[in-house]
Amino acid sequence: MVSYIIRRLLTLIPMLLIMTFLIFLGLEMTPGDAVSFLAGPEAMANMTQEQLAALRESMGLNDSFLVRYFRWLGNMCKGDFGYSLTSGVPIKTIIAERLPATLELSLAALLISTILGTILGLLSAMKRDQPVDRILTVAGMVGVSIPEFFFGLVFLLVFSINLGWFPVGGRLRPEYTVYWDHMKNLFLPSIVLGLSMTAGVMRYTRSSMLDTINKDYVKTARSKGLPEWRINLLHGFRVALAPVVVLVGFRLPMLIGGSVVIEQIFQWPGIGNEFLQAVRSQNYPLVMMIALLSVFMVLLASFLIDIITALLDPRVQLD
Amino acid sequence: MKHRERVLQAKMDRILEAEEQGTYSKKKRNRVVMRFMNNRLSLVGLVVFAIILLMSIGAPLFTHYDPLKISLKEVLQSPSGKHIFGTDKLGRDVFARVLYGGRISILVGFGSALGAAFIGVVLGTLGGYKGGVFDKCVMRLSEVFMSFPQIILVLLLVSMVGQSMGNLIMIFILTGWGGIYRMTRSKMLSIKQEEYVQALKAFDVNPWLICFKHMLPNALGPILVNITLSTAMFILQEASLSFLGLGVPLQIATWGNVLNAANDLQVLKSYWWLWLPVGIVISLFVLSINFIGDGLRDSSDPSQMG
Amino acid sequence: MQDEVLVSVKNLKTFFYQSGRCNKAVNGVSFDIKKGKTLCVVGESGCGKSVTASSILQLLPQQARIEKGSEIVYHKDGKDIHIENLERNGKEMRSLRGGDIAMIFQDPMTSLNPVYTIGWQIGEMLQYHSDLTKKERRAKEIELLQAMGIPLAEQRIDEYPFEFSGGMRQRAMIAMAMSCNPKVLIADEPTTALDVTIQAQVFDLILKLKHDYHMSIMLITHDMGVVAELADEVVVMYMGNVVEKGTLDDVFRNPLHPYTRALLKSIPVLGKGREQNLQPIRGVTPDSLHRPPGCQFGPRCDFFKKGVCDGGLPAEKWVSETHMVSCFNHEES
Repeated sequence: MVSYIIRRLLTLIPMLLIMTFLIFLGLEMTPGDAVSFLAGPEAMANMTQEQLAALRESMGLNDSFLVRYFRWLGNMCKGDFGYSLTSGVPIKTIIAERLPATLELSLAALLISTILGTILGLLSAMKRDQPVDRILTVAGMVGVSIPEFFFGLVFLLVFSINLGWFPVGGRLRPEYTVYWDHMKNLFLPSIVLGLSMTAGVMRYTRSSMLDTINKDYVKTARSKGLPEWRINLLHGFRVALAPVVVLVGFRLPMLIGGSVVIEQIFQWPGIGNEFLQAVRSQNYPLVMMIALLSVFMVLLASFLIDIITALLDPRVQLD
Repeated sequence: MKHRERVLQAKMDRILEAEEQGTYSKKKRNRVVMRFMNNRLSLVGLVVFAIILLMSIGAPLFTHYDPLKISLKEVLQSPSGKHIFGTDKLGRDVFARVLYGGRISILVGFGSALGAAFIGVVLGTLGGYKGGVFDKCVMRLSEVFMSFPQIILVLLLVSMVGQSMGNLIMIFILTGWGGIYRMTRSKMLSIKQEEYVQALKAFDVNPWLICFKHMLPNALGPILVNITLSTAMFILQEASLSFLGLGVPLQIATWGNVLNAANDLQVLKSYWWLWLPVGIVISLFVLSINFIGDGLRDSSDPSQMG
Repeated sequence: MQDEVLVSVKNLKTFFYQSGRCNKAVNGVSFDIKKGKTLCVVGESGCGKSVTASSILQLLPQQARIEKGSEIVYHKDGKDIHIENLERNGKEMRSLRGGDIAMIFQDPMTSLNPVYTIGWQIGEMLQYHSDLTKKERRAKEIELLQAMGIPLAEQRIDEYPFEFSGGMRQRAMIAMAMSCNPKVLIADEPTTALDVTIQAQVFDLILKLKHDYHMSIMLITHDMGVVAELADEVVVMYMGNVVEKGTLDDVFRNPLHPYTRALLKSIPVLGKGREQNLQPIRGVTPDSLHRPPGCQFGPRCDFFKKGVCDGGLPAEKWVSETHMVSCFNHEES
């Protein structure tokens, strides 16, 4: 198991490096003076052209590409991500402020969709071809067909605006004192974000479960005189879960990307919203950094998913 | 539980009786067609898909309004006999915008799906067949692309190259070829093991021929299904992007662009006809594509029981 | 002295219902499993022998049904338990499975759950059929593996099926089946998926079970060589019916049914040399949904008599106390 983890980590690192390289390339290709996002706007405002040139020299901006790349990489490891082009705020600060909100949203969506999806999928498989199954199957297809943001809009309208059950967007209010107070703000956006994942997980769990139920070892389990619930859960479901977890891993990027739109609709103060503003205002440093961050999140999450898969199905460690 | 048991027993008894008396159904039917026909959802999907597609393509036949024509006298009118879906903030007929918008949305969706499929299939076939450094490089490349959340990569590229319909299709193709590449490649890898491929190789047949004339046709089924479902995905993506104002330029009517109006809470509350019908049309169209794709997959999958 | 009968199967009919058709996979099969004896059920693929075995423990899929008139009686401590009347997955049936009657299957690779260790899987059995504590269970698991001839048992307990070799997997399966001291072991083609050399090992193990534990064994196979090695009694099946049954001597030295004779003539016998005249059975096994009228072997039989053999199924004729044949030709003689 440990060797498997190490092997996975080793494949992760080159990927991360390639990504940083590409992002750096992107930064180089976009218009804009590197000084401005490396030095900060106050510094910029007070300098003459010669001073700027000297600054460029001293910051090593005239060095070769590779040298600059590694320096940039080094800076990042120290926590210096540069400055936002439009506001001059250090990117590190922006990320620190906004990342927790997005993480909260993504995690909530992930939890809801995997738990709900697997349970519904299991139910669907157990009651195959009965009304419950048919309804869930169609519901699943509807779930992947409706644009997530449209779904969000409808929910926002119906539950927040018309029915008033939930606050209309936003995350925190002055009157919230405890962490759990803003759960009702979190509820709608996370359900909407997790919608397409829930549908996907449900369908896949169903088909994986149906596959597993026909396997020989299920018959063996039955021949041992075990009760049906144990056979279905421990011998059927448990084995069926592993491929589903792999699927979740594949769909993770969509979950992280989906927050971009959902945060917009629900005015959720996260990284996704920030990204959108940055794109609109061509704030390249911020755009690139957030993109890099999202990739990092995807890679990290995939790594964790791989570990969980190996725990569920030890055969995975063979490769 | 008990009732279901009894129903099952009764059904078995009926079949037994039919068997003993020789009254069971003896017809041989074409499995594939029968299964598709029997799959009512696929049929419904096909019908809905055809209706929306035809209405979009033949837009002038269904509406005499110009989707781009601004008419400040008729701003924000609710649906009526004159304007089936009402008018928007600039007095444009919403129904016309939905019909004509469909053309662009479907074009972007399908065009991107085809483009991505073309690249993905070619690379997947060659990579799967040849292997070696080429295959490893392309595989790495696809991993890089697929590690980005697609929308983030798309937006990143849009911010760099600007918004236009052509750019958008290019970007979609660039970010979307990975999935079909992987699938084609893995199919090729398994087909490569088959004996007839070994035989062709032994006979020193031109590798290009082996790949594209002999191996590829066997993978066509899943590829077609993939194109179908990709189209749906790209339509949804275009809608999301245009909704955010970062997709196809706002002057051109697309489904997403029409939905863009809903960004405003006021519109959401009071002017439902500006966004609800479009959203429903998009959902129905994508849903129908998914039904069809599912039906295709079910009927072409030999492991399913008839 | 009459051998004690543990399981008596009378007129077993198991039908499969699918796509509006009824497949009579087992169509009136009767035999007895006696204490300490090995019964071999032999026949081609598709003749219904596996279904017969599965029927005894009611391990059938949803679309299969044991028809009315079938009797599967398990004799325990003087009581007669009618398995055909028990609820399919009810408490009594589950208690019988593994505790009284155990089963091992053809392919140990697919028959063992890949995500649990061997020890865990054996332990499950012990958990449900005995009152041992966790520690006691573990000790018993190791003991069982050792008894079945698996070396380094303490280590193997915590390994997964994919870490075992084919022969060892089957031994582990047998260990699992034997863990709760069943009275009857049903083995469904236990060596078909194994190499010939490994087959020999598994057979030795089965022989050991027979001698050391006095197990009653029902062995399903299509291999006449296996029958010759292990059987006390033989049941020959074709297309869902028993065509002949008797002791090993009866069936091998004096085969009465044309099918049995044809079977014996079509396999090479070790030691008889290269000049053996092997004759394949002419014709092909009919589709179970398009059966010939009358005796199922009719179209392929050299003794087929039109008007007689295609009229209905032949009745059972007892040629001796142990030897039965189901053939129109023998009703006359």
